Amino acid sequence: MRWGMVIDLAKCISCYACVISCKQEHFLPAGVFWSRGVVGEVGTYPAAKKQFLPVLCNHCQEAACVKVCPTTATQQREDGIVWVDANKCIGCRYCVMACPYQNRTYLAEIKPHHPGQDFTEMEKMGRRLYPLTEGTVVKCNFCMERIDAGMAKGLQPGEDREATPACVNTCPANARTFGDLDNPDSLVSRLIREKKGFPLHHEFGTEPSVYYLRY
Amino acid sequence: MQTRPYQWMYKPTPQTEWIRRQGMLLWLAFFFLELGAGTFIVGSAFNNLQAMFTGWLITAIGGGGCHLLYLGHPLRAWRVLFSSGWKTSWISRGLIFTTVFLLLGGIHLILAQWATSSIALLVIADIFAFFAVIYVGFAMSYVSAIPLWNTALLPVLYAILGIWGGLGITLMTMANDASAAVETVEAWSRIFLVAFIFIVFIYFFTVRYQGAVAPSSAGKTAVREIMAGKWAPLFWVLVVVLAMALPLGLALSTWMASLAIPIALLYIAIIFELLGDLALRYVILRNGLYTPLLPL
Repeated sequence: MRWGMVIDLAKCISCYACVISCKQEHFLPAGVFWSRGVVGEVGTYPAAKKQFLPVLCNHCQEAACVKVCPTTATQQREDGIVWVDANKCIGCRYCVMACPYQNRTYLAEIKPHHPGQDFTEMEKMGRRLYPLTEGTVVKCNFCMERIDAGMAKGLQPGEDREATPACVNTCPANARTFGDLDNPDSLVSRLIREKKGFPLHHEFGTEPSVYYLRY
Repeated sequence: MQTRPYQWMYKPTPQTEWIRRQGMLLWLAFFFLELGAGTFIVGSAFNNLQAMFTGWLITAIGGGGCHLLYLGHPLRAWRVLFSSGWKTSWISRGLIFTTVFLLLGGIHLILAQWATSSIALLVIADIFAFFAVIYVGFAMSYVSAIPLWNTALLPVLYAILGIWGGLGITLMTMANDASAAVETVEAWSRIFLVAFIFIVFIYFFTVRYQGAVAPSSAGKTAVREIMAGKWAPLFWVLVVVLAMALPLGLALSTWMASLAIPIALLYIAIIFELLGDLALRYVILRNGLYTPLLPL
């Protein structure tokens, strides 16, 4: 089993709902994003076109971040999910350097969302529910808590909302699909096969688990 | 290169964690570590205990200290020595090399000062010191998405810088020494100066014209920024003029006239060389630009 995601760029409406739902799900502090949007332009006026690329950790099969971690704090599970053990991370940030997709963040300080003010009750609750450690590197974990809890209840990630990553659930255009890349009959595998899904920067040999379908 | 937040990974995006804010400590750590280890190697080659001790101190206090201060959790650094990370991680290997070098080098220095040390111990310490010198280059060249770093020439460049700096520090410790060893160290220093100039030229040339893993604009942009952009004054003044042209002119003029270099000029040349070393490392770290994700 290897969890993966397909993002249909033709369906994506650039609404940033995935970015916000990720922040809500993990109570991410100010300035920290595990899901982002890269915005660019192609062509020149008057034929210029805007491109929006939603990005998150690619949970690469040959993850550079796992290889460079000096304390094995960054680990890869059997199901392909790459996660960081905050208790082992020494904050050297080599993984941040090594990630070709720049989807890791060094959490120097947990800052409140309202500058000059104390943490809100919501933020305090978030820290209790989802503790993050200052001085360590944080990243998207494919909502592995949801996947694990859901599977323990017999639910199927990608099909049952309770066991599916928050960004997939929240996408109003159904641009995101989650499932098992090792299963040739899964929806993600079929989409990649039939619609010629491609990963980002395959030339780096990282074998990402997030695929994109063309605009 | 300065990118706006909305240009993140759409334009070549500079790395920040290894050079901005706390990252400045890592820049200094890399410099001191290689300079110290290089000085130890050169000192041992010329049986100069003072140089070896200076190198050991620079590595331990400057290199080790800055490395630890840089970490988000310095008290957890011991985990590096006892994990299996060394199999694939150059940071892990580097810390192990440095620790073993400091341990064996320290034992050798104590024994050599107050008893009799063994040559085998020194050779092993030297081997680990050399590994410490080259580790930074390998750690950086592993980053495939930064074309400026992702080249096999970077470990060579950093090894030359480390040993060359070591020759300079060793010369400084030999200021009052009238032995023939001074001339030999000076001769080696000239050779490393030429090697440094050669490798810097080849390094930037290959990154600019060949790229690394992928044909990317990030490598070209980085070299342009260093040669003709925001960082050009730093590169041309500190690296090219002070660390290359002036020492080369001094070396050539004294060598051709068969004169000994005046001690004051020698000191100035070594200080310029070290400043150039720091500046070159800074521009290389600062212009570590990631290959953008767009356009698809």
